[in-house]
Amino acid sequence: MSHIHIDVEHLSFGYEKGRRILDDVSFHAGEHDSVGLVGANGVGKSTLLKLMVGLHPGFEGAIRVEEIPLQKETLSQIREKIGYVFQDSDSQLFMSTAYEDIAFAPRNYGLPEKEVERRVNEALETVGISYLKDRHPYQMSGGEKKLVSIATILSMTPDIILMDEPSVALDPRNRRNLIRILNSFEHLKIIASHDLDMILDTCSRTILMAGGKIICDGPTEEILSDQKLLEENGLELPLCMQRRN
Amino acid sequence: MSKINSAIYEIHHLEKLASRDQWVNQIHPLVKLCLTILYIAMVVSYSKYDLIGLAAMGVYLFISFQLAELSFKDALWRLRVVLPIVCAVGIVNPFFDRIPVEIGGLHLNAGVLSMLTLMMKGSFAVLASYILIATTTIESICYALRLLHVPTILVTQILLTYRYITLLLEEVNRITQAYALRAPNQKGVHFKVWGSLTGQLLLRSIDRANDVFESMTLRGYRGEFKYVGEKHRMRRTDLLYFAVWGLLFGLFRRIPVILVLGNLVGGIFA
Amino acid sequence: MHMADALVAPAVAGTMYVCSAAAAGYSVKKVREENDAKKIPIMGVMGAFVFATQMINFTIPGTGSSGHLCGGMLLSALLGPYAGFLTMIGVLLIQCLLFADGGLLAFGCNVWNMAFYGCFIGALLIWKPMMKKGASRAKIILASILGCVLTLQMGAFSVTLETLASGITELPFGVFVSTMQPIHLAIGLVEGLITAAVLVFVYEARPELLFAAEGESSGAGRFSFKKTIAVLAVAAVLIGGGLSLFASSNPDGLEWSMERVAGSTELEAEGGIYEAAASAQEATSLLPDYAFKNSDSALGTTFSGIVGGLVVVLLCTCSCYAFRFFRKKKTA
Repeated sequence: MSHIHIDVEHLSFGYEKGRRILDDVSFHAGEHDSVGLVGANGVGKSTLLKLMVGLHPGFEGAIRVEEIPLQKETLSQIREKIGYVFQDSDSQLFMSTAYEDIAFAPRNYGLPEKEVERRVNEALETVGISYLKDRHPYQMSGGEKKLVSIATILSMTPDIILMDEPSVALDPRNRRNLIRILNSFEHLKIIASHDLDMILDTCSRTILMAGGKIICDGPTEEILSDQKLLEENGLELPLCMQRRN
Repeated sequence: MSKINSAIYEIHHLEKLASRDQWVNQIHPLVKLCLTILYIAMVVSYSKYDLIGLAAMGVYLFISFQLAELSFKDALWRLRVVLPIVCAVGIVNPFFDRIPVEIGGLHLNAGVLSMLTLMMKGSFAVLASYILIATTTIESICYALRLLHVPTILVTQILLTYRYITLLLEEVNRITQAYALRAPNQKGVHFKVWGSLTGQLLLRSIDRANDVFESMTLRGYRGEFKYVGEKHRMRRTDLLYFAVWGLLFGLFRRIPVILVLGNLVGGIFA
Repeated sequence: MHMADALVAPAVAGTMYVCSAAAAGYSVKKVREENDAKKIPIMGVMGAFVFATQMINFTIPGTGSSGHLCGGMLLSALLGPYAGFLTMIGVLLIQCLLFADGGLLAFGCNVWNMAFYGCFIGALLIWKPMMKKGASRAKIILASILGCVLTLQMGAFSVTLETLASGITELPFGVFVSTMQPIHLAIGLVEGLITAAVLVFVYEARPELLFAAEGESSGAGRFSFKKTIAVLAVAAVLIGGGLSLFASSNPDGLEWSMERVAGSTELEAEGGIYEAAASAQEATSLLPDYAFKNSDSALGTTFSGIVGGLVVVLLCTCSCYAFRFFRKKKTA
């Protein structure tokens, strides 16, 4: 087994007692996996992602990131390995310029300023947005903000990337660009989205959720072409497949 | 509600002005901040009848506007907030202070003189602050505040507030527009929805704050913001700039420069 | 209520800067002690919220006019007095810089008049004690209105004192106070109602967000409701008594307030017309040799003034052109 992997075992969680948002969820994802997390509104996709970075305490079951069990004492260790991209870029970009935002995490982890600068530039180049370096968030388009958000987590060179609805509010060209960048990230990535066409383009594996449970976990092509299965769970065939039929 | 639109526009406009590559913009923010406060303090400290003496302080504004290539018209627009307040306070002076003075052959009421001086003081102060904010970004001002040992909590708070102001203004704009579209004959927000309209916005803002907090903690934040030092270096030019203006202010304050020059030049022709 | 720079004398501005800085320093210490990392992002976003919502016009029923939200009271009901105070400082500073709402020199005064009373008096003396035994709709409405009215009255009173102590206006103390207070009474009522509406909404939707609403016991500031009312009553009597005293009997309240409040040398100099005459005299006689020959000195002053003004403008213009000329040469 390669060293980059994440294990979720019998995970259950609810904000209030008695109402479970996640119910006995288990899966394993390894180094080169790209996992699409799909399901109708409110099935617990975002909650699952947030649990994996320890934003909600008080779950049942176990989450292990590279064999480190997720608990209060290991949070900082785990968060160093996982990059989480929020759905709303404006929540992720709170500093005054792109540079400052991307430098935020490396600085917090106490890296020397020279190394911080190197990492920021590298992250900017990976995403292809060096020209945004000194730009203020309000001077950026939605697509640019999303790319900067991704750069803010790449500066920590994470092993694992989690994304919540990355393609929402992007125009077609920006969306295409996003897909290219996602595909260039080779480590483990888990993407929660309603944009099934994007999942088709970026993920080899798909986990379909409904009612807080994993309904089905398998190759993307297989799951996303199963019209009956998708419609039973509040989804539809990806647009490109609808045309094919 | 176009008030909000114009506020958003004004914020962006100032930001654009401040991030230009002008000579004045590059002067160290601490120098500009201190100079502005010094200037305003000097202006305000003039005697309340010393209109002509005070006028000399306009030199700073005149030259700075030229150097920074700022539009005087834009700046005058900002006086709209201040002048009415100042007028309201000063307008009674002519009625209460009726001792006649003779200044330059004109028989004035001392109250009129003090009112004019007051208005000039108000305008000068506003224009000087305009020069500061139109040549210095909020980030640079915050940097200057940190140099003055203003606690990090406060500075961070100012920066965050500034960051989210435009976002929330836009949100308020959307919500009030949506409201106005469904309540065509109302000028403002009806009292029945005072709580729910604003309250919704408040709850959403708190949710956003939670998201921001989460995204901070995921990137290693533990309650203390780390800023890099040495963004601006204090150059010799900066100190010189401060010294020259400081001396000029002192000179103007001590000597009625306009009258002296007038006498000098007038004397030559006479 | 934002004070402009022209309305304060440097001595008054400095004093108020020191007072506000002390309150801010104490608040920073308190917020650090709470050690809640979440406070900072919430303060930032809430500051922006107050800034933005102060632009909403709320229609006042029965009148054509509109009111606005009172930031200090709302913030301290949500964040507590200390974080609320720091947040208000941020809001006021940005208002001052971006929109020229209140001056830089008068910033200390504005923080004191608008943030200090709203947060410290409003939250510590009214909100917290009243919510001690659990919150309710009625209590929230009462606390908001009381808080807004009282803190606005104190703020308006401070504006009056600061302006008079600065020797800006000739308006007698009594007249000034009796115009300022009633206006702000009305404003305070409206702001209180709006603030109450918002807080009640929050109380019904997410009560855990309200400061000190769950009757948590923290040692300091244990006031009973009765005591609060007593404190309020005493404050009201003091303020009201003070007001009527001056409105009726003391036409020359200016002197009184100058001596009592500021007592600085700055003000003594600004005595009255004699000084104006003296300064005009001084101006003309400073360099008597250059005065216009054989003319009566007043005419000389006018003439000198105009000529001098022109010369100054000319000098400025020349220096600007010279500056630009050299800049261009340098960059070329």
